[in-house]
Amino acid sequence: MSEQVCASADATVLLVDDNPQNLKVLYETLKDKGYRLLIANDGNKALTLARRDRPEVILLDIMMPELDGYQVCQQLKADPVTADSAVVFLSALDDVEAKVRGFNLGGADYISKPFQAEEVIARVRTHASVIRLERQLQQRNRQLESDQSRILNAISEGIYGLDASGTIIFVNPAAEAIVRSPANQLIGSNFFDTHCRECGHQPDAELDLPVQATCRLGKPEFRRGVVMMRPDGTEFAAEYRSSPKLEGDTLMGAVVVFRDITDELARESELEAARELVEKQREQLAHASRLSTVGEMAAGFAHEVNQPLTAITNYSRVAMRLIDCDELNLSLLRETLEKTEAQSHRASEVIRRIRQFVKKPVTGKEVVSVAALLEETRQFAEVDVRQNGGEVMVSVADGVERVLVDPVQVQQVALNLIRNALEATRSGESSAPVEVTASLCGADFVRVEVTDRGTGLPEGAEEKLFLPFYTTKPEGMGIGLPMCQSLIKSQGGEIGFERPEQGGARFYFTLPVASAADALAGPSVVIQ
Amino acid sequence: MSDIQQTVYVVEDDEAVRDSLELLLKSDNKAVATFENATAFLKAYSEEMAGCIVLDIRMPGMDGLELQKKLNERHSILPIIFVTGHGDVPMAVDAMKEGAVDFIQKPYREEALLEKIEVALAEDREQRKSLGEQQEILKRIKTLTPRESEIMERMIAGQANKVIAIELEISQRTVEIHRSRVMHKMGTHSLAHLVRMVLSVKDRIDAS
Repeated sequence: MSEQVCASADATVLLVDDNPQNLKVLYETLKDKGYRLLIANDGNKALTLARRDRPEVILLDIMMPELDGYQVCQQLKADPVTADSAVVFLSALDDVEAKVRGFNLGGADYISKPFQAEEVIARVRTHASVIRLERQLQQRNRQLESDQSRILNAISEGIYGLDASGTIIFVNPAAEAIVRSPANQLIGSNFFDTHCRECGHQPDAELDLPVQATCRLGKPEFRRGVVMMRPDGTEFAAEYRSSPKLEGDTLMGAVVVFRDITDELARESELEAARELVEKQREQLAHASRLSTVGEMAAGFAHEVNQPLTAITNYSRVAMRLIDCDELNLSLLRETLEKTEAQSHRASEVIRRIRQFVKKPVTGKEVVSVAALLEETRQFAEVDVRQNGGEVMVSVADGVERVLVDPVQVQQVALNLIRNALEATRSGESSAPVEVTASLCGADFVRVEVTDRGTGLPEGAEEKLFLPFYTTKPEGMGIGLPMCQSLIKSQGGEIGFERPEQGGARFYFTLPVASAADALAGPSVVIQ
Repeated sequence: MSDIQQTVYVVEDDEAVRDSLELLLKSDNKAVATFENATAFLKAYSEEMAGCIVLDIRMPGMDGLELQKKLNERHSILPIIFVTGHGDVPMAVDAMKEGAVDFIQKPYREEALLEKIEVALAEDREQRKSLGEQQEILKRIKTLTPRESEIMERMIAGQANKVIAIELEISQRTVEIHRSRVMHKMGTHSLAHLVRMVLSVKDRIDAS
């Protein structure tokens, strides 16, 4: 209703009749109904007014001198400016033939004379409203079209519209730029011939061609790194997304949105190279740091090796004495030699452990047992235990099994934390053992904690703890913890610090649990 | 004095080193007793123990130096040979200051160790012998009457019988009788020997 009111309020109605009396009656009938009324008493004036004011409705008398109503209608319909006005014929000629002719020329309606005022008012109102709405619709359509083409022009991705056979029926400017060919040459050519020539059209490979699955089967595709040919013979790496064009259930073709990703791939490979370099440097730094740790522990290791060597020397001498005896006690001699052998294994085990620890970086994670890893570390730290007169207790909770990590790097972190803890314990003159615990942290991580009751850390140390060159130790370099953080992050874990209620310090780190797939795929466990 | 049984006391936390050292010393016909830490030895310690201690300087819990201090507090005269690792020289120096006889660095040659043990055992014997003699002298001194002690002191100071008689207001004859009893009780005929005997225990008399 509101549209009608609105339509009648704005609508223009042109009244055309050569008879002034008729014009007056029409005018009287329609005035004060909210229309803008125009009047013409011949065909030519009517055409001029119609072009100038584009009336919604034209009430057109058929029988007029010079240009009759049919001719006027013909000319109105031939001119795009006036073609959309609703022409309502007015005539006394109340015969079918005249009406048909009027409709054939594009007339919208017919009112027979003598007319009823109500009929005129009703028909004018209807047609004014229809034309009004039609014009609004056209306006909207024009706007949408221009929006759409602006978007298609502005978008940096190339866009193709294809029919079901792969013929290009739409190209946007970005596509022209990417394939370096104007739209008029692209439109009408076949997408597959133009861009996939080199790939050939082997029947078995057909569905592997870009966009083929969308065009033939209506399956959307997204592919990256596909090589596409240009009409000039060059090629480029593309990423594209293709969607089927459907009308109802019928596959009409495809819309392909694509980009040239040559530069992007180059940047990605540069980034990857940089990442590899960082990883390599991290490993080298970790290696250097392990060497320095072993250097610090050298005196302790010498002791660890000297113990079995001392025992070996003693046993050997005992064996020689036994041989020199008058009565050869073979079983005692054998026992002594067995003990000698065991001690040489003990010495070589210490050396193996050191070699394992300082070996050159080997990239690659392994599936290792948490308990074995921590026990190995504890034995390694034995040197510091002796030096500091402390104790290390390892406990592994039920359910903690294997993690996917670089074992040497994790051992390096654990050793670093244990050594710090032993040192803090001694400085704090505490006799409590350093506790190393492992427990599950959610389903995907194992959390390892190293807790001491030593001196603890100064207030506010948390924030700076993992910054390089921050240290609380007089002879410290501030390298250890940042190194640990970097190593744990490269395992996909986290490292942190807490203040236990009972005093001292607690450092923890998390490690990713090895999945069943990791366990099957990876090399067998190195540390048993 | 008859020879008493000397034992080598090995205090060493490392089981293999302890076991091999025990076998080695036994094969050299030494009596050996082993202890896996300082506390165990301290618990077993008594004054009657004779021989020497082969003591690891670095041990968890009470270390070698602490044990040495505790033994010194208990007037032990057992000689100690410290066994040190590489880089333990400063500790060894401290040990020597506290009266250790020697130290040896791991890994050691058997000859070197046995030699040091022999020296230590000889020192122990020597100390024990002189200790036995001193005890005998002290025992004899205790049998003297106060008057006899007084006269012995003056004899050692070199006073003639006459001077002693005048100063103590007794007859010279009485001095002579006391003097001969002192010589008899102390088991000597020579004044020079008496002087030496009394001087050798002088510290102990002063202390008591």
